[in-house]
Amino acid sequence: MRQEPANRIATEAMKAWKITASLILGIFWIVFVAAAVVFFFLKWPLWIIWIAFGTIVVATYVFVFLIPKWRWRRWRYEVFEQEIYIQHGILVVSRILVPMIRVQHVDTKQGPILRKFNLASVTISTAATTHEIPALIEADASALRDRISTLARVDEDDV
Amino acid sequence: MSEARRLHPIAVLFNLLGSVREAIIGFLGIGFFSLKEGLWLFISFALIFLVFTIIISFLSWFRYTYRVEEGELRIEYGILIRKKRYISKNRIQSIDLSAGVIHRLFNLVSVQIETAGSGADADASLEAIKRSEGEWLRDVLKQPDDPENISTADEAEAMAVTAGPSEKISFKRLFLAGSTSGSIGVIFGFAAYIVSQIEQFLPASFFDRFFTSAVGWAVGTSVLLLIGLVLFCLLILWLVGIAGTMIKYGNFTITRNGDELFISRGLLEKKQLTIPLGRIQAVGIRESILRQPLGYATVYAEIAGGSLDKSEDFSTVLFPIMKRDEIRPFLEKLLPDYKLVTTYTLSSLPRRACVFYVWRAVWPFLLAMFAVWYFFPPFAWIPLIPLIASALFGFLRYKDAGIYVNAHQLVIRTRGFSRNTVILYHKRIQAFEKKQHKLQKIIRLATVKLSIIGVLGIGTHYQLKDLVENDANNLGNWYSYRDRWGSL
Repeated sequence: MRQEPANRIATEAMKAWKITASLILGIFWIVFVAAAVVFFFLKWPLWIIWIAFGTIVVATYVFVFLIPKWRWRRWRYEVFEQEIYIQHGILVVSRILVPMIRVQHVDTKQGPILRKFNLASVTISTAATTHEIPALIEADASALRDRISTLARVDEDDV
Repeated sequence: MSEARRLHPIAVLFNLLGSVREAIIGFLGIGFFSLKEGLWLFISFALIFLVFTIIISFLSWFRYTYRVEEGELRIEYGILIRKKRYISKNRIQSIDLSAGVIHRLFNLVSVQIETAGSGADADASLEAIKRSEGEWLRDVLKQPDDPENISTADEAEAMAVTAGPSEKISFKRLFLAGSTSGSIGVIFGFAAYIVSQIEQFLPASFFDRFFTSAVGWAVGTSVLLLIGLVLFCLLILWLVGIAGTMIKYGNFTITRNGDELFISRGLLEKKQLTIPLGRIQAVGIRESILRQPLGYATVYAEIAGGSLDKSEDFSTVLFPIMKRDEIRPFLEKLLPDYKLVTTYTLSSLPRRACVFYVWRAVWPFLLAMFAVWYFFPPFAWIPLIPLIASALFGFLRYKDAGIYVNAHQLVIRTRGFSRNTVILYHKRIQAFEKKQHKLQKIIRLATVKLSIIGVLGIGTHYQLKDLVENDANNLGNWYSYRDRWGSL
């Protein structure tokens, strides 16, 4: 538990996250522009618009440029024969151990944004928890899924 | 083998009552609004609904058949769309018989069958069949490799006599359990009482400004009245708590029978519950704030899978109330193969964790205090009371938190309102997580979270905050299957 897991996720993950964040913030920009137009024509106090503008610019910078980078930097995983070791989290760093004999099933999934970059995420489920490794190169994700599912086939021995 | 059978005709009544109960709130609403004009319309509408429901209830009873064939329980039902549910004997996890008041009048039972599958559809329940029939069903559907097949004992008590170790609640204990139940309700009640008393201490200027002396006198009497009323409500609440507990846990008996725990409880509605020992994920001891000073605790278990009984809490009570020093022999008697650690000294948290614990408990009240202080300066001291209480709670949480680890088991103690001690097995823990925020990192603390299987496929998670970072790491190593076999 002292050492970080060895593997990073794909660098394209940052691009994918940036696009996702941009899409969400795009909605806020549209709302903002609409509000600005209304404020301008109705001659409502413009300082509100300026404050909103400042907030949204900062939010865009943080969510689109900083957080994906930080998130990627922290994300690490490693698959051992007996267990899976995951680290993630920006402000709160989580390190998770999932023993192979507790893994119930492994899935890979891919949304439209991940597909654009040939990425896929791997979801590992136990009887009590679900863990996701968010963005791996598609081939790596499939290989990892197959590997975990083979390793997870160990018989449970009563320790 | 058996031919298809129907439930007891009384099930029609249950179906009917069920639908009426679901519809009654809506009807009351409509009835309320149609009081003036459409009353007759409403009544005829209600009558049509009633007739319709009776027909439906009857038909669904008529169509509902069950039989045991080729080692399967086969249920067929549905009025327009015929549905068949076949449950294989091997998949059945537990069969519970229970009997409500109406059931007991006709010597009937209702049978709940739980399977390992998830989702409500995996389970079956036969609402009303003859008691003998229910017991026959239970015997037939029992696992074949079950060493000690429970014979068709007439009553649960008889079973308890023939079977292994058992524990029954005494009347005195039951009463004690009742009078110390609903602790939070009572505490809030007392808090409300104290707050209502506060009026006496309001600044005099407050009264001068807002009330003439006559109004003040009226307020004074009404305050007295109010206090009386609050006390009366508290008393009622308390009595209801006692009655509720007595009804729920009356005749509570737990028996071990081979590989199963058998619980029977209830004064009015007799509930029976079978727990295969293999499904126990963790054993816990809960000491509520009223019971802890008296030295009493509740023993419960986390059981995997199964459907969530609506009246039941998430965890299953193994014994409603017992003295702290009785817990050890009790667990040794009922769960001997589990070799639960029953003697342990918990190591508590480092002193630097105390600040975090107090802060977490205090900050909402601190915010409230600032808000009150800003908007209503003369009342700024009121939020001080919950503030101090919460700080005290934070400190108690810190003081009670602790952990103990041996080769195969882990004991975690935490406090919300009640103090909870949970004994976890290494092999039952599904995942381990260590969390650390920036401040924790600086002063080398960490939070650990352990997950076990809970009811309905949602995990149950135990979190212990602000452990020494090294201890958290060691706990990770203890859990890790790599280090355990030293292969890496």
